[in-house]
Amino acid sequence: MTPIRKFEKPLGMRDSFPLMNEKKEKVRDIGRQFFQARGYDFIKTPTVEYYETIGKASAITDSSLFKLVDRQGETLVLRPDMTTPIVRVATSKLLKEQIPLRLAYFANVFRAQEHEGGRPAEFEQMGIELIGDQSVYADAEMIITASEFVQELGINEYRLTVGHAGLLQSLLAQMTQSEAQEKELHKLLVEKNMVGFEETVRTYGLSEEEENNLIDFIGQASNVQSIEQLQPFIDEMNHQQMNMFSYLNNLSLLLENASLSSMVTYDLTLTSEMSYYTGMLFEVFASGSGFVVGNGGRYDGLLEEFNSDVGATGFGLRVDRLLEVIKPSTIRESHTLLFFDEANYLEAVKEAGMLRSQGMRTTIQHLKSVEDRQAFQTNFTDVRWLIEGGGTNE
Amino acid sequence: MSELTIAMPKGRIFEEAYALLQKAGFQLPDDLEESRKLIVEAPGEKIRFILAKPMDVPVYVEHGVADIGIAGKDVLLEQNRSVHELLDLKISTCYIATAGLPNTVLSDIAPRVATKYPEIASHFYKEKGEQVEIIGLNGSIELAPMIGLADRIVDIVSTGRTLEENGLVEYEHIVDVTSRLIANPVSYRLKSERIRDMVKRLKESME
Repeated sequence: MTPIRKFEKPLGMRDSFPLMNEKKEKVRDIGRQFFQARGYDFIKTPTVEYYETIGKASAITDSSLFKLVDRQGETLVLRPDMTTPIVRVATSKLLKEQIPLRLAYFANVFRAQEHEGGRPAEFEQMGIELIGDQSVYADAEMIITASEFVQELGINEYRLTVGHAGLLQSLLAQMTQSEAQEKELHKLLVEKNMVGFEETVRTYGLSEEEENNLIDFIGQASNVQSIEQLQPFIDEMNHQQMNMFSYLNNLSLLLENASLSSMVTYDLTLTSEMSYYTGMLFEVFASGSGFVVGNGGRYDGLLEEFNSDVGATGFGLRVDRLLEVIKPSTIRESHTLLFFDEANYLEAVKEAGMLRSQGMRTTIQHLKSVEDRQAFQTNFTDVRWLIEGGGTNE
Repeated sequence: MSELTIAMPKGRIFEEAYALLQKAGFQLPDDLEESRKLIVEAPGEKIRFILAKPMDVPVYVEHGVADIGIAGKDVLLEQNRSVHELLDLKISTCYIATAGLPNTVLSDIAPRVATKYPEIASHFYKEKGEQVEIIGLNGSIELAPMIGLADRIVDIVSTGRTLEENGLVEYEHIVDVTSRLIANPVSYRLKSERIRDMVKRLKESME
């Protein structure tokens, strides 16, 4: 190990320089207005939580958690996501006051680096949770809101992929012989390892027809534009399956109503390693980032861990990845510089006050403190000189 | 039609994979590998090839600077990156195995295993219930048991000739390896038509 140098930060930690920070704040502002206008209240929770509660319940793998120990010897974690803390607050307090509950957040979360750079260990997430509404309208609200928010940010090249965790589980259970097989195939789907899926199916000793059924299902159900195309895979005698299928059908009608059909692809094989997703789940992709910019879904299972059966749905977007995707604005904001010397200090303060009251961003700067005036001036759109003799330059 | 960027491993796999694409009906020029260029365009098909070290292909694809790529299963197992594995191209067939000097067993005290694949090796011995010390090497792994650096090696075997020529024998077969077509999760959605078309055509031409 080379010794740590003065300029270094811990692996994966990043500074937000003024330009980037401004951009981030803009996204936050847009988000605040946008979600508030839709009835969501913003909430903050502690940065540090107990490992026993939040750390274990969250879907983030143990090795990605930042852990510390408090004075009592309890293990703490830096919050790895926001959904779990919000569920903690909601189930312990807020749900007693209002149900259904609409909450929003903009917060930094922490995920420890495993190997190399290229991904941050601390980043902002923005999202909403709708707790205590089990209807298809709540799920549709999530997808539609996520989509409209992405548009609001000026991102037009994006896609949504929608799946259903419960329906996938039911179909896999039906097509395999044991729970172990179902779990194994589920894991391969999480990794989207199509080659592994096919190989594994062939080792089960199923009949040729059953094998081909499974492989066809994965090939065809992973990219459909309309829900009807999934019909052939549904067992009409299976009540539960039919219910979930018609649920998905209703959801697709609601999305169609919102004119989202061209943005949405259905993928029944879409799944997540998070076992608490029970129903609809979705992912958001945008051109310009190689990673998923956001995801969401119904997570009734997480509420059950907190002893509540009211159900919840929500989504979160990665602000750092949104920023990669958002086109940089080319407009330079106006910013006035007032150079002053000793004799004109009061004059400068007065003039700056006047300019600021007109809404103009104004900086006052003692002329003699600046070594390279030429370079300094380039940071401003307008430069005024309040110096002896009223000269503009020497 | 959007442009598709494909990360390809340099060398023999490139030629085989390139021939596969031609066979699948992609109009690619015959004399592509002309120079030391790292980026090669095939404008007729709106395809751009990035020529990379085999170990680096999944890196380019995971970060999305390449939409798809061709990578050995050995590399995928070793790095465990979040890329979609779409198709087994069944080229560059070989396997990973353990090998060592004939008639030897693992040392009882500190069994040492030299390898270019620390992840695969440590996973294999863990599954077997044996704790070993892994020594990472970058090439000529066969040297390690010959000069007493390690009891075993974990390495790629294609014909077994290298092992034989160096007086080593194979002990355990770990996993079969072929080249796979992999995709970035976002490209897989945003360029789904092109990628699915390629998978379909490759699949058909292989049958």
